[in-house]
Amino acid sequence: MSEATEPPGKKAKMADTIIDNVIENIMHSKKNLTAVLDDDFYKEIPLIKVYIGHAKDPKEISRMFQVLNEKVPLKEFHHLKRARKREILLCPTVFLDTVMPQSIQEFLEQNVDELKDCFEYFKEIEVPHKPPLVRKQYLECSKHWSINFHPNKYLEKLISDDFFKNEDLIDHRLFMGMAFEVAKWYQNDKKFTLEDIVKGNINAAVVVDPKNRSVVAVVCDNRYEHPIQHAAMLAIDNVAKTQKGGAWSTVVDSGTGTLAGFDKGMLMHLKNKFREVNYGAKMFVSKRDDAIQSEDSPYLCTGYYIYLLREPCVMCAMGLVHARTKRVFFCYDNLSNGALKSKTKLQCVEALNHHFEVFTGFL
Amino acid sequence: MVDFMRRALELASEALTAQEVPVGCVFVHNENIVAESRNCVNATRNPTRHAEINCIDTVIEYCKLNNIDYNTYFKDILVYVTVEPCIMCAAALTNLNVKEVTYGCANDRFGGKTVLDISEFYKNNYILNGNLLADEAMALLKQFYKGVNPNAPESKVKKEKR
Ligand SMILES: [Zn+2]
Ligand SMILES: [Zn+2]
Repeated sequence: MSEATEPPGKKAKMADTIIDNVIENIMHSKKNLTAVLDDDFYKEIPLIKVYIGHAKDPKEISRMFQVLNEKVPLKEFHHLKRARKREILLCPTVFLDTVMPQSIQEFLEQNVDELKDCFEYFKEIEVPHKPPLVRKQYLECSKHWSINFHPNKYLEKLISDDFFKNEDLIDHRLFMGMAFEVAKWYQNDKKFTLEDIVKGNINAAVVVDPKNRSVVAVVCDNRYEHPIQHAAMLAIDNVAKTQKGGAWSTVVDSGTGTLAGFDKGMLMHLKNKFREVNYGAKMFVSKRDDAIQSEDSPYLCTGYYIYLLREPCVMCAMGLVHARTKRVFFCYDNLSNGALKSKTKLQCVEALNHHFEVFTGFL
Repeated sequence: MVDFMRRALELASEALTAQEVPVGCVFVHNENIVAESRNCVNATRNPTRHAEINCIDTVIEYCKLNNIDYNTYFKDILVYVTVEPCIMCAAALTNLNVKEVTYGCANDRFGGKTVLDISEFYKNNYILNGNLLADEAMALLKQFYKGVNPNAPESKVKKEKR
């Protein structure tokens, strides 16, 4: 029987099976997730030409240091050590362009006269222009010259692809699986197909409060009906609903109070399928309604994680910045519109007032 | 043109009265205002409820009610907004293919041109004009930021001001 003549029920079932397989893969893989970090951490450090001199007398080196640091400071090149064995870093070659001497010997005679006879010979070599940011760059840089480097332990862990402990990884994979389950659940309702979920632009979102492993809101894209109701935008609104707010009345038969982030039917289905986690937001205490403002009361998506099928677009990603989301997890890259990896990395725009961490690599 | 921006400024002052970040916006179609709104982030506890987003919702609702294809309708929309659209709103307006966006003052905290120029990676960009009644728009913002955001918990307010 060709696909076209199959009864719709059977086709839907097939779609379910395919998505179930994806969920299975996501939830049972042992692979750690990958942090999506600033391109600068992966770039080669550019090199700059410098003059070095070979010290005649190694015992003199520490005195030469003092004189040089005083008279020819390295300024923006603090990452470069002044010496490597008997080689002493004198200055970048561009220093000479501005002061006019013909040779490095002349430069020394004019600027550091007391050292003019201390060197056996001079050499022009290339050294790293900028400080290395991560260990991998540091190792590369060290091949050229001795480098001062103080690794940022957290960053090294993030970039290592071994960031999450096993128990956390299991949770992240579970919540991503849940996002696919959500998409599957809404498939018929929202009139999109399996293709849209796996290859198209349909998105689904699960918002989690990691402090108590509780699912706060789940949503599925409604962009075919309303062009800005992408999953992340809906998720932010559903979170608002758990805080006595919200603007869109898209949730059919929605829960109330701390469970306002769910459709009732959806919640029941998830509770059945994923029994090991909690559901609902923490109690919201409004500053205006209540004299005692609890430090614990939720505020926007502060502290929350969001799990999305695919990399969000610029609108959604910036919405998640406005909402102060703590971490964003996504499964598929969004090559045409993605704002966290594919087209730009919004999490790395320094001018913004909030920066979330981004993780992918579920499949 | 100036009249549309004056209306947007009125909406922005309404926002200020309501203790919201004072940004106002009108959408114009065939010389008529078809949507107008202001920021209502605090009231909705939804940080994406910017004036432009509210106007987009109004237009979509209007189109649905009147059986108009919103894709076509948005192509003729001119947007007047007191502050340069943020990255989120700029992306939304780009995706909807609006014709033109005119703003009052630049948005150096979140601007979709000033902070991150989204036209560099999103095609189909609208025409963007700035600096229409910028001083009035800026004056309202300054008035707001003299106070504090009443909805943020104490610690967060302090952090932001640092
Ligand atoms: Zn989106
Ligand atoms: Zn905006």
